[in-house]
Amino acid sequence: MGKILAVIKREYLQVVRTKGFIIGTLLGPILMALIIMIPILSSLIAVPEQETIGVVDSTQDIYQELDKKLDFKMKDGRRRYLLKEFEAQARVDDLRNALRQKVLDKELSAFLFIPENVGSGGKAEYVSEHVSDFSEIRSIQEALSGVVIGKRLKKEGLEPQKIAQYIERVDLKTIKLTKKGEEEEDTGGTFLISYLLVLILYMTLFFYGAIIMRSVIEEKNSRVVEVILSSLRPFQLMIGKIFGVAAVGFTQYSIWALFGLAASRYSKPLISSFVPAAEFTLPSIPAYIFVYFVVFFILGYFLYGTIYAAVGSLVNSEKEAQQLLMPVSLSLVVPMLMMAFILRSPSSSFSVILSLIPFFAPVLMLMRICILLPPFLQIAGSVVLLSLTILFMIWLTSKIYRVGILMYGKRPNIKEVVRWMRYK
Amino acid sequence: MNALEIESISKRFDSFYAVKSLSFLIPQGTVYGLLGPNGAGKTTTIRMIMNIIIPDEGNIKVLDQSMDEEMKSRIGYLPEDRGLYPKMKVGELLLFLAGIKGLKGEKAKQEIEFWLERFDLIDWKEKKVEELSRGMQQKIQFIVTVVHQPELFILDEPFAGLDPVNTKLLKDIMLEMKEKGRTIIFSTHRMEQVEMICDNICLINKAEKVLEGNLSQIKKQHGKNTVLLEYEGQASFIKSIPGIEKIDDYGKFMEIKLKEKADPQHLLSELVGRIKINKYEIREPTLNAIFIEKVGENDGKDLSSH
Repeated sequence: MGKILAVIKREYLQVVRTKGFIIGTLLGPILMALIIMIPILSSLIAVPEQETIGVVDSTQDIYQELDKKLDFKMKDGRRRYLLKEFEAQARVDDLRNALRQKVLDKELSAFLFIPENVGSGGKAEYVSEHVSDFSEIRSIQEALSGVVIGKRLKKEGLEPQKIAQYIERVDLKTIKLTKKGEEEEDTGGTFLISYLLVLILYMTLFFYGAIIMRSVIEEKNSRVVEVILSSLRPFQLMIGKIFGVAAVGFTQYSIWALFGLAASRYSKPLISSFVPAAEFTLPSIPAYIFVYFVVFFILGYFLYGTIYAAVGSLVNSEKEAQQLLMPVSLSLVVPMLMMAFILRSPSSSFSVILSLIPFFAPVLMLMRICILLPPFLQIAGSVVLLSLTILFMIWLTSKIYRVGILMYGKRPNIKEVVRWMRYK
Repeated sequence: MNALEIESISKRFDSFYAVKSLSFLIPQGTVYGLLGPNGAGKTTTIRMIMNIIIPDEGNIKVLDQSMDEEMKSRIGYLPEDRGLYPKMKVGELLLFLAGIKGLKGEKAKQEIEFWLERFDLIDWKEKKVEELSRGMQQKIQFIVTVVHQPELFILDEPFAGLDPVNTKLLKDIMLEMKEKGRTIIFSTHRMEQVEMICDNICLINKAEKVLEGNLSQIKKQHGKNTVLLEYEGQASFIKSIPGIEKIDDYGKFMEIKLKEKADPQHLLSELVGRIKINKYEIREPTLNAIFIEKVGENDGKDLSSH
């Protein structure tokens, strides 16, 4: 036991001191914060400019009302859109050319051409150097449509204000029903965070697995492994290594969790101090999701960590490992690819079976738990299956590992590896 | 007491025998030479002694007890494939490796200081292993082997890559250990080193023992019909002198094995005047010659190319 502890300690200190670990640990939350903050901050930083839009109103009837409708104010109280009317001329092409020139000269940011037949299906034209700002185009389109529709209604003798009331849209409020009968409002944020958790689980399984594998390869390549084995058993070395990297993972997750807690506590006042009027709610996640996240991360870590250790013992370099890692990566990637399907029907028998397969379970079961809490029996079943698989993999790997770490040179084929298991 | 008792151990990898019913005893306080050509099974034997691989058959007793994991901390092992963690600091590395041998805390630190001083490496304690020269890494590796004061040493090619000064330092430490009653298993291809250091030897070839025993007795058994000649000049004519069985010519030095009835005095008279003779010694054969003879018996082709 003392020997295993020594291996754990060495492994832990070696990884924790690397630049990669420090950068990854600090950069992770910063990156995550940026992803969440950027939309909020960008609305702060990107102050819209006042735009002057030339309007050619061939109907002679729309401009006044359009000007009234497009009365959006910016923060400083000025109008967002300043309209400037140009009289329709008989020679339309000359006017267009003149307006084009004004846009190119930045005198106007755009011009709007309203044809005479706009009330009966004619298309209005919006000409600008930038036509990719959807919100801007939509406001102009909506304002123009509003005016034209109003005209049409009046022509038919109807009251536009009344009609607007009649056809008001109904909003849908989404409510999630859980087994406990509680109804909670399901905001998009909850789903987003759940998705983020699955993604983090998936990425860290890859990441920590690779650390274990790299460490095994380093010991093989530097030939230090024989010195180590003159003091302890191969199994002790392997288990120490896996637990050492697990301690690394624990450290990293703890730091991330602290960042997360700090963020959930302080980010709202912080953002509010920048944007007093900012309206947003921080997504909340039920505690059981975190509990299951920890459970499935630990199980997934030991399953994949063991496999990565076996792969490391079989090869001489990371490059050589790539080929062997294909099936391993695949069994991690496949669940991510199944996500769209699972999202649509989380309780279909196909989803249930997939999420019970031990190699997929860490990612898929967690995904299902996030979407719609499955029956406890299914979760327990996958935990039991996973645990049994882990025990089997540890047994199998220890048989391969003890021979593999002393084999230098040619990478063994499957037949040889199977024969290794029979060695005493 | 025997430091090591090996009783007909065998190890098979698939259909290939790496070691086949090998037995030998090593008395405590002696230096034992474990010899053999490349691929003979030395490393497998050593790994079995170290419990790194488990023999299919046979028994190994170390220091009067069956070999087990506990025993590992009483053995110091210097493998032929040297290796240290390149990214670790020298001091930390030594502390870790001593720790898994059961040497911990203040005692471990003191021992490490002592040995670093002795090998003149104390200034490198805080440096990473990869910053050290190969020779320095060799010395660190040797410290790893001795730091926990083992009772049995297994040294596989300990002098490889060392300059003469450090070779002497290492040899002196080996002798010191022997005087303290420690036992040393010494594996090498350098027969002149074996002759100078070992009390007993075991020669393995193709997984099996071909020769074992006390070194001086073995040499005596091989008779006093060998001539060691140090010379200058053109000596290729010697081959045609009758009574010569075998010649091993190094250019300035020659080991000549005479036929059973041949007279060394006669050979000397043939040589006088034709080459300059600096030394003419009649003695038992060198271990080198015995090695070549024994291994060659089984594997003549392989040897002529080496």
